[in-house]
Amino acid sequence: MKGIHKISVRAKRIRFDFTVRRNITVIRGDSATGKTTLVDMIRQHINNPSGSPVEVVCDKTCYVLEGALWESELGAIHDGIVFIDEGNAFVSSRDFAAAIQNTDNYYVIVTREGLNNLAYSTEEIYGIHSAGKYGSLQQTYNEFYRIYGEDVYTSSLRPDVVITEDTNSGYEFFSSVCGRNGTKCESAQGKSNMFRLAQQSQGHVLLVADGAAFGPQMDRIMKLIGENHTVSLYVPESFEWLILKSGLFSDHRVGTILKNPADYIESSQYLSWERFFTALLVRESHGTYLEYNKRKLNPNYLKKNAIERIIAVMDKIDLG
Amino acid sequence: MLNIYFGPMEEAVYNTAAYFQYDYEDGWITNPEVREMIRDVDQSVVLDSGVIDSPVLGKIPPVQLSGGVKTLILVKFEKDKIFNASTCGDNCAKWLLKIADQEDRTINLRHLMDFGKDRFTIRILNTNEIVHSMKELVSIAGNFV
Repeated sequence: MKGIHKISVRAKRIRFDFTVRRNITVIRGDSATGKTTLVDMIRQHINNPSGSPVEVVCDKTCYVLEGALWESELGAIHDGIVFIDEGNAFVSSRDFAAAIQNTDNYYVIVTREGLNNLAYSTEEIYGIHSAGKYGSLQQTYNEFYRIYGEDVYTSSLRPDVVITEDTNSGYEFFSSVCGRNGTKCESAQGKSNMFRLAQQSQGHVLLVADGAAFGPQMDRIMKLIGENHTVSLYVPESFEWLILKSGLFSDHRVGTILKNPADYIESSQYLSWERFFTALLVRESHGTYLEYNKRKLNPNYLKKNAIERIIAVMDKIDLG
Repeated sequence: MLNIYFGPMEEAVYNTAAYFQYDYEDGWITNPEVREMIRDVDQSVVLDSGVIDSPVLGKIPPVQLSGGVKTLILVKFEKDKIFNASTCGDNCAKWLLKIADQEDRTINLRHLMDFGKDRFTIRILNTNEIVHSMKELVSIAGNFV
């Protein structure tokens, strides 16, 4: 599945309107905001095809996955939007992560846990809030809001330490840029180590991670930032996205894709968007002096013009 | 005191809503503190032990309370069990502290619940350390979720 899909779930008393953009969407937030009610309504609708007071309007079929037989039920679902309520322990299992690889569905998961086996975006973590009453039936109207993304810097940030999630090309790039002005740069060697490293570092720490897959870490990292004002987080989709966004490749098609990635990224092929951006960069740079290799950074990306273009994408961050 | 084990915990009841469905007792729902929890978290009014008036869903049975309130009720009355309190939102945090203020309770959290800016007392069972603020809690518990 690819693309952005609008979903409207309605009954007499309550209505939910929201959009899903990627293969994994997570819903969390306060109790009593309607998360379980939303899943209950979809279950009611799909289990009673002969007549249900719940109306689900979407260009894809919506399903609810739950219980001990989840794996066999999942095998029967194709090109659908699959909702999973909290209380289903399988969502944090490796079996589930393996089972949804290469499926052509989108998944909407209700949970407050960080699902470390899944790669989901920092942008696709939502809460539900009531937007008031709707229509003459006094229908309560609910919509999604993004939980992260409000705490953006308005002034320039100059870190003392940069910690990257990347170990290879991304780290090589930031290490080289930071080295020019004596800023320390470390690789966390994986996103799950960033919390510990951020706590151990001195001075103002900037964490640079792949936003397309950093969702599972957001709860603890944002709580750390909330309690410790010397830690900041920068989450572009990925290092490869930064390069593509920099304009180093003037192909008009790249710009078109970056404007609406959801229209081009097939969920069965790319579990998270950073893999797509890597594949796109490899393809676009093939045979050029900027030929990209994720394992080892092409030295041409460390030339003055390339560095300036790439760090120019990092708005409000001063790496010298 | 509130004791919390952070991260996966095998002995904790994970699906608290399913547990509540066949475990709750009528008297629990009409308990004055539970009435107050339901009013505060769900903005609903207990009419009697089997009927709650929800501003959104109308008249509902106790099994249709929010997942957070159901877990709070279990934590309050099933004191020898450990429940997965990651089914509770941050708007349940003060109630967990209040329940455990009267009598010790142990819960399991798989995320970092926000217990607010006021000073509190929580024992983190993973390291057996007592913390009094979110800053202290996050620095220790963040390593386990």
